[in-house]
Amino acid sequence: MTNLLTGALPKIVRVIPRNRNIEAMLLLFAVGLNAFELAQIQLSLLEKLTPEFFFYWLPPAILALVIHMILRSRASEADPMILPIALVLNGLGLSMIYRLDLGSIANGGTELFGTRQIIWTVIAMAVAAAVIIYVPSHLFLRRYVYVSMFIGIALLLAPSLPFIGRSINGARLWIGIGPLTFQPGELAKIALTVFFAGYLVTRRESLALTGRKVLGLRIPRARELGPILVIWAASLLVLVLQRDLGTSLLYFGLFIVLVFVATGRSIYVIVGMTMFITGALVASRVMDYVSGRFESWLNPFDSKNYDAVGGSYQLAQGIFGLAHGNLLGTGLGGGIPHLVPLAESDFIIASLGEELGLIGMFAILALYLLFVSRGLRIGFSHPDDFSKLLAAGLSFVIALQCFIVIGGVTRVVPLTGLTTPLLAAGGSSLLANWIIVGVLLRISDSVGGGKNES
Amino acid sequence: MSELALFIVRTGFLAVLWIFIFSIISVIRADLFGQKVVSKVASANAPQVVSAPVAPNLPGSLVMEPNGSNATKLTIIEGDRTGHNIALDRRELTIGRADDSDLVVDDEFASTHHAKLVLINNDWLIQDLNSTNGTFLDGSRVGTPAVVKLNTPVRVGKTVFELRA
Repeated sequence: MTNLLTGALPKIVRVIPRNRNIEAMLLLFAVGLNAFELAQIQLSLLEKLTPEFFFYWLPPAILALVIHMILRSRASEADPMILPIALVLNGLGLSMIYRLDLGSIANGGTELFGTRQIIWTVIAMAVAAAVIIYVPSHLFLRRYVYVSMFIGIALLLAPSLPFIGRSINGARLWIGIGPLTFQPGELAKIALTVFFAGYLVTRRESLALTGRKVLGLRIPRARELGPILVIWAASLLVLVLQRDLGTSLLYFGLFIVLVFVATGRSIYVIVGMTMFITGALVASRVMDYVSGRFESWLNPFDSKNYDAVGGSYQLAQGIFGLAHGNLLGTGLGGGIPHLVPLAESDFIIASLGEELGLIGMFAILALYLLFVSRGLRIGFSHPDDFSKLLAAGLSFVIALQCFIVIGGVTRVVPLTGLTTPLLAAGGSSLLANWIIVGVLLRISDSVGGGKNES
Repeated sequence: MSELALFIVRTGFLAVLWIFIFSIISVIRADLFGQKVVSKVASANAPQVVSAPVAPNLPGSLVMEPNGSNATKLTIIEGDRTGHNIALDRRELTIGRADDSDLVVDDEFASTHHAKLVLINNDWLIQDLNSTNGTFLDGSRVGTPAVVKLNTPVRVGKTVFELRA
């Protein structure tokens, strides 16, 4: 009785979804930001607003509001910041791709990406909404740990198959049927995160507690290192078969970080990084493709590399673009980002950096930082181990991908072909990243899971 | 557009972008540090302070049965709210950072739903709800639910309390 009197009252108060109201405000802000971008682009390039403004502005805005309403009824405790941040990033990418289309139309180009990007945005956001509706709890993923391992490996290896595998710009990362191409590795990252999380939950104890102590560090037993060796070999295999350093680093890094999150032992990170760097250095000696990338990275302005086919021309142009942007940028529509090859996909960050300047570039990095920190926070506060690892893995995969791509464009690491999450042109990447958004929202709703029982 | 208008528009956009980021950060800040603790203590817990046994004699009520430990109140002996008492006038008492916990502990070392005290067979048992930093009964971490004896310190985050007769 007293329980009813004293305990029930605060719960009635909690029914008001504070999170959702915050989200609604941030979403309106985000929608406004996207309108600002598109208007600025049209006004500076076309000097008038055209109906295309609504074509690029409305669909993501409407779908975001739909997802918001779904969250209100299905997952009212979900994190309020993830959706607005994803919408702003997606909108920035969309605006920039539209702007590059306008630039290329002005120069007589015919290869346009805007329409395809908006269609994929709609599909991807609809899939994210479906994830929230039809996946009542992410924990059901745990039943499919080994299934997702096979799916992940199949997706990873699919581009290496004859007939359907496609090589674009030297990397064999696509499958294609007719004119449709798809990059399955993007979806593989989700499947493999599920697998790693499920696998490590069961193996956590033995990975964390065994081994002898040497110099204050507990050295794991050889058989505990077995799975790490397998993943290491697999990621090197990806490097050899698909000729892509970024993808192999992404999966290996993901695994190492999840091992670290699961066990809290830094030795795994040290061993893992040493192994990967050794492997990459050996590969750079043996494989022309990798050594070429290293050479372009170290000396992009050397005329030998600059003029070579597949050399550092693109990288150098990107850096010229960033330099042109200076601190404040040229303003959206004011620069010449379309001079860089692949400005709409791999180099979209250079295009944005040129037009928004260093300040805008930092804003984008801050958005990613916030997105990832929310994901890690969800993992940190979730009571269930599998959910912890899944949330940490999914958000870390985005962080690592940003590091590899943006680091590649800004010459922190050798340039590799990954997409900038949510920004870059590319359907598979959008789809995968919006699924991650959906799953993170789903996990975050269950963080306070014990609340209703007590 | 004129040069000046262009400049205003492009710096304006950057400003709005950063305002968006800072509004997100301010939400996170509010989440981390919570709303003002004072009001929560006053409104949620103060009315339940000892000597206010609520309707102990209701028929069918299991409340306030004589129990083996004779504990009638929980006294905070360390932490932000040292000296506060909470009456043990119910069968279950939740501890955590969540606003709806019976004992709200407001520090970063406590989890949202950290632990709970449950009255079973006239004994108060402390159960850790998979908290991140653990619950400590008399200095040792609580794994399975353990009986809390009178005047034994229980630590949750930076807060330490005892059950008293």
